[in-house]
Amino acid sequence: MNHIEFHEISKSFPGVQALSDVSFFIRKGEIHALVGENGAGKSTLINICFGVLRPDKGHIALNGSSVRFESTKDAERHKIATVFQEIPVCNNMTVAQNIFLGPAPKTLHGFLDTRFMNAETKNLLRIFDIARQPNEIMGNLSLAEQSMVQILRATYSKPDFLILDEPTSSLSSEQKALLFQFVEKLRNERDLTVLYVSHRMEEVFEISNRISVLKDGRYVGTVDTPGVDHGMIIKMMVGRNIEKHIYQRSSVLGETVAEVKNLSRGKLLKNISFSLRKGEIVGLAGLQGAGRTELGRAIFGADPIDTGFVSIEGTRIPPGNVRHAMDAGIAMISENRRDEGIISAMSVSDNLILVSFRSASKLGFLVGRWIKRTVETYIGMLKVKLSSPQQRIDSLSGGNQQKVIIARWLANNPKLLICDELTRGIDVGSKAELQGILSDLAKKGLTVLLISSEMPELLSTCDRILVMHTGRITGELSHEEATEERILFLATALGK
Amino acid sequence: MSRWKQFKERGVLMVFVGLCAVFSVLTPNFRQLTNLINIMRQISEISIAAVGMTYVIIAAEIDLSVGSVYGLSAIVAATILRSGLAGFPVPFAFLGALVVGAVFGLFNGIVTTKLKVPAFIVTLSVLAIARGGVYGVTGGYAVSIFPKSADPFFLIGESLGGVFPIQIIIMIVFCIIAGIILSKTTYGFQIYATGGNKKAADLTGINTDRIKIISFVVCGICSALSGLIALAYLTSVHPSAGIGREMDIIAAVVVGGTYLYGGRGTILGTFIGAAIIGVVRNGMVLLSVPAYSQEATIGLVILIAVISDTLLRREKVQ
Repeated sequence: MNHIEFHEISKSFPGVQALSDVSFFIRKGEIHALVGENGAGKSTLINICFGVLRPDKGHIALNGSSVRFESTKDAERHKIATVFQEIPVCNNMTVAQNIFLGPAPKTLHGFLDTRFMNAETKNLLRIFDIARQPNEIMGNLSLAEQSMVQILRATYSKPDFLILDEPTSSLSSEQKALLFQFVEKLRNERDLTVLYVSHRMEEVFEISNRISVLKDGRYVGTVDTPGVDHGMIIKMMVGRNIEKHIYQRSSVLGETVAEVKNLSRGKLLKNISFSLRKGEIVGLAGLQGAGRTELGRAIFGADPIDTGFVSIEGTRIPPGNVRHAMDAGIAMISENRRDEGIISAMSVSDNLILVSFRSASKLGFLVGRWIKRTVETYIGMLKVKLSSPQQRIDSLSGGNQQKVIIARWLANNPKLLICDELTRGIDVGSKAELQGILSDLAKKGLTVLLISSEMPELLSTCDRILVMHTGRITGELSHEEATEERILFLATALGK
Repeated sequence: MSRWKQFKERGVLMVFVGLCAVFSVLTPNFRQLTNLINIMRQISEISIAAVGMTYVIIAAEIDLSVGSVYGLSAIVAATILRSGLAGFPVPFAFLGALVVGAVFGLFNGIVTTKLKVPAFIVTLSVLAIARGGVYGVTGGYAVSIFPKSADPFFLIGESLGGVFPIQIIIMIVFCIIAGIILSKTTYGFQIYATGGNKKAADLTGINTDRIKIISFVVCGICSALSGLIALAYLTSVHPSAGIGREMDIIAAVVVGGTYLYGGRGTILGTFIGAAIIGVVRNGMVLLSVPAYSQEATIGLVILIAVISDTLLRREKVQ
């Protein structure tokens, strides 16, 4: 008997058929991966599994009997737990309180049993080596730590079926390894069934027993993971052979365009020096907390600098001011697209001109014709998929949103583009597309500093890779020298 | 998307038309010219102040002091007029009132952005401070007697040909200009960005503090202008002028479709919102609705208008 069975699940929303006749099954105790491009229907299926949505047609069978979840509480009662990609945490509460969110343990007298909560939390935190106290405020934890707390919370209730939606997107390699160990342990101890949804093919191949593919709301097929042909899975997902981005050495590397010298900021950045040449794509690798985002922000003027300086084409830039950096030709795409990138209430067109509108205004008035022309140019150049430039930006897929943000900065003709986790949470096809766009831009003379946690991306896109560890640059690898092991060594400062 | 569906303000427009229809049926006096002009006059007071409030709310802030600033500006203008300043008080009365509005706006803006105190609290305090200023200046008495040199001022409260009030013309011109600034200038664009996502706006080099401060100043000036017009029409001002006004003004903005969390809203929407409030207040008086029920009805109208607007928007997002 299978643990979970999907029978002809269909679900539609106004204007879009999210799922059509999806039928497949998940065996008890297996780690079952679910893959598909953005918009394939994975989130919808998860939401139906967890009681957030109800299917229009079809049903789910749990251990042979048909079930219908009216709410997430229903699902939880059936021993199903979910860890969502967008982490809903209560930033103002403590770690222990977040783990026990929901019916909280009470003492005999009906008061909150804080001692029990804190003790249990301490044990849980040890599983992932999280160096935090149970009574620390959740908001102080890094994104990675919050992710792991969410996972602990979900598994604490001892579910039979655990759904993980992109659980590793903010985790370092060490943390990922701990997570996989943990999941394996639960599987062995309690026959836990796991539905693992991810864009990261390497992880999916590493941890899963079988892989199911969704495409455009339909079920394509399931394969056994051992010995699976990677290319075939990709083909199932997109219906065509995706050329994984192939590295091409930038034809001509120009002179030094950017120089960072002795840059320090408190405990976060220590004496950083390097230079970038015109047309180079330089990767910035490192583990969580190594200081990569902080370095990007310092160069861009979003944070102040204690000592040292940044210069573009020989001219030093006054630090700590975004406008100065922008005027000097620096652009930065931050890692947090939703909170710091897009303005969701605005249209695609408005988001696109957000940086360049100043230079194209007459006497303080926006020039409609210029806007239209600019927007059309970049939508065409980057092949942004949309129905109208006036539609809201949050109706676009993640990949297309990133294209709009890239366009936003390109329209200002930057000399240096800093990208922080450009392709995080984006499907395989769009990832390759974005990497290709960066390559093309580099060939035309743009310098790119690519902050990324994805090894394949760094290895296939960058001319050289700088590696950071606790605020320092521990080493540099050329494209020919770079391997995942060497990057990891430098990132953990284990070897040079 | 058809043009009608793209028309953002269609939700509130439908509510407005519906209300007019209802009142026309319920009471024949509604449709009379004198009454319609009366309604327009009421609307012009709310809408001018509401324009300033729209800027502030789109920038994701709020200004609760508008009622008191309205009152204080009117009092200051009246006091200057009464003093007959060297026989030429009118321009100084204008200046005085607008300066009051601008100064309080500046204060609101600076304390909110630089000292990081929530605007709700800052403007609530200013509400009390400015009201105190009103009592201080007037000693509790109304100002109603003015020298001849003040006469040119009250022309604003007059009507063209004895029928069409000048303040309506002022309102229309003012709203059109404010609307153009909000939708077509770089300043307006930056307000939407600041209110839509302050962090994102900061990271594209927009000086969000400055944008917010300017919005507060604009709001203060609009309140002052609104007070001046009221003074011109009523030819007197009482220390209680403007008490409770902030509710109608904020209601007009919210009913008009401006999102309280910032980043969305239009002047046209606010104008229709002010019109709805004006029409409802007028209609209730014509129907002799008891005073207690009037407030409840206004509340209901606000709720219905906002719900219908929210439902229509949700459709668009899907």
